[in-house]
Amino acid sequence: MSADVREIEPGKAIVVDEGRVIRVTHSGGKVLVNGKATEVDLSDPRDRRRGGGAGGANGRQEVRSAMPGKVVRVLVAVGDVVEPGQGLLILEAMKMQNEVKAKGPGTVTAIGAAEGETVAAGAVLVTVE
Amino acid sequence: MQRRIMVANRGEIAVRVLRGIREMGHIGVAVHSETDRAALHVAFADEAYPVASYLNAAELIAVARERRCDAIHPGYGFLSENAGFAALCAEAGVIFIGPSAHSIASLGSKTAARELAIRAGAPVVPGSDGAVGGFDEARRFASKIGYPVLIKAAAGGGGKGMRLVESERDLDAALRDAASEAERSFKSAEVYIEKALIKPRHIEIQIFGDAHGNLIHLGERECSIQRRHQKVIEECPSPLVALHPEMRAAMGEAALRVARESGYMNAGTAEFLVDGDRNFYFLEMNTRLQVEHPVTELVTALDLVHMQIETAFGASLDLRQEDIQWRGSAIECRLYAEDPANNYFPSPGRIERLRMPSGPGVRLDSGVYEGWNVPLDYDPLLAKLCVWAGTRERAIDRMRRALGETEILGIANNVAFFQQLLASPAFVKAELHTGFLNEFKFEAEALLDEAELRAAKAVVKPVVAAPTAVSESRWARQGLKELMR
Repeated sequence: MSADVREIEPGKAIVVDEGRVIRVTHSGGKVLVNGKATEVDLSDPRDRRRGGGAGGANGRQEVRSAMPGKVVRVLVAVGDVVEPGQGLLILEAMKMQNEVKAKGPGTVTAIGAAEGETVAAGAVLVTVE
Repeated sequence: MQRRIMVANRGEIAVRVLRGIREMGHIGVAVHSETDRAALHVAFADEAYPVASYLNAAELIAVARERRCDAIHPGYGFLSENAGFAALCAEAGVIFIGPSAHSIASLGSKTAARELAIRAGAPVVPGSDGAVGGFDEARRFASKIGYPVLIKAAAGGGGKGMRLVESERDLDAALRDAASEAERSFKSAEVYIEKALIKPRHIEIQIFGDAHGNLIHLGERECSIQRRHQKVIEECPSPLVALHPEMRAAMGEAALRVARESGYMNAGTAEFLVDGDRNFYFLEMNTRLQVEHPVTELVTALDLVHMQIETAFGASLDLRQEDIQWRGSAIECRLYAEDPANNYFPSPGRIERLRMPSGPGVRLDSGVYEGWNVPLDYDPLLAKLCVWAGTRERAIDRMRRALGETEILGIANNVAFFQQLLASPAFVKAELHTGFLNEFKFEAEALLDEAELRAAKAVVKPVVAAPTAVSESRWARQGLKELMR
């Protein structure tokens, strides 16, 4: 039985499925279904899973910024040996500071951001190998 | 008499104060940064003027004088607890809506407030008498009172410059971080140390005074649910105090002793920690209107912003202690642009969709609108959602209903987090303490049932005609989480 879709405004619809009312709000691929967040992939699924993943083989870690923010302090230098959980740098977003830590052991091979620099979400901050 | 009142703030609190100004028939003057030129609070003002920063006292006062403002309401944060700002206002002949510069100075530093509380006979937590000088002194003192200890910014508040230290191993790093954060946030790197109580509750007393020596308290708020030492849920009454009504009078009297000792007027909040034996310890006085003031307003039927403005212009408080009554139960949830699945990390960005709740017993204090770009530059508080009901149980039900009507898309937020928190047995049973959220597990994966999946696919169509895939992941994907931590 097909769901009965009733759009009540752009980006918001109620779906009545065998009498049950389900609220769907969406923008881009982001969707709230009865208040629960999910994503609908709007692209051709064949294009997915292409483009480099985050952590490759051999314990190489690219530590990225999850949010746009400002690097307030870099705690390591290229060549430093780091342990899991060790602080790599301090990122500030909206006046809150977060210490970005190493996931695993390794040597710092690159630092992608300088102190005071503003970084975008997804930017590679530190590479540890 | 119609007054011209500047609101030296932004976001939801500027909206809230401007609403009060409008209700009283005064003229509301907003200021805004360049980032905030189209912010919601500007739309709630009669006049608006640009400023470079909400922190530049001289600039704000210059605008106030140029625009013939009679008074400045500082809101919370920014310059609200800056004694120098209050003094500059007085010199410029502009009324500062708050306590005197002298009161702020005597209570503004936590160490000074603590000394004052001791003089006033209010109980305090064991701690260093004044700021600690260096690592060695800190180490000696911490071993003396015993770990865990808390490091706090002497000039601070809101959890900025605060660190919990479990053992001596972490002391140096924590001192360094706390001092630098304190320096940046408050322009003072002074920190002090006190004993960390085990599973304490955070309960605070709202006080209010006029310029004629009248001082009363408006009861307590329970603010034990905190993350990063910042409150996320507040309640009035405290469920603990509701069970032990004698605590309200005792804590209220302690708060008033501190207030009297500092010659307090206008709105203020005395914060206390309460241990498992219901002993309470004065922590600090917040010399301003508090974020969570709405829950007190809902339960006492008072309007704190009106009272602030009336008394700042010289009116006598027309309430005596015995006039204050508490009715029903109110809860506030602070809706933040942050990701509860990723250590509550801020999530600035554009609000693509926004639907806020209404209906019986719901109060919303919002600072944002659909299409607003939540800026990186400020605190990520979006709105405060409050409910009132006859009992705490009904207030929880009502909050869950209201959260269910709340729809925010485009930025990570804590609506789903509150839904789970309010449903948790420990919260419902009011087993609250300031470490509550360290023990609470937020389930980021909200699984949809088959009908819900079907509904999502029926409404949201992929761009390319291809089999639709509904991802199991939430916005905050596991990958991102792992990368961050």
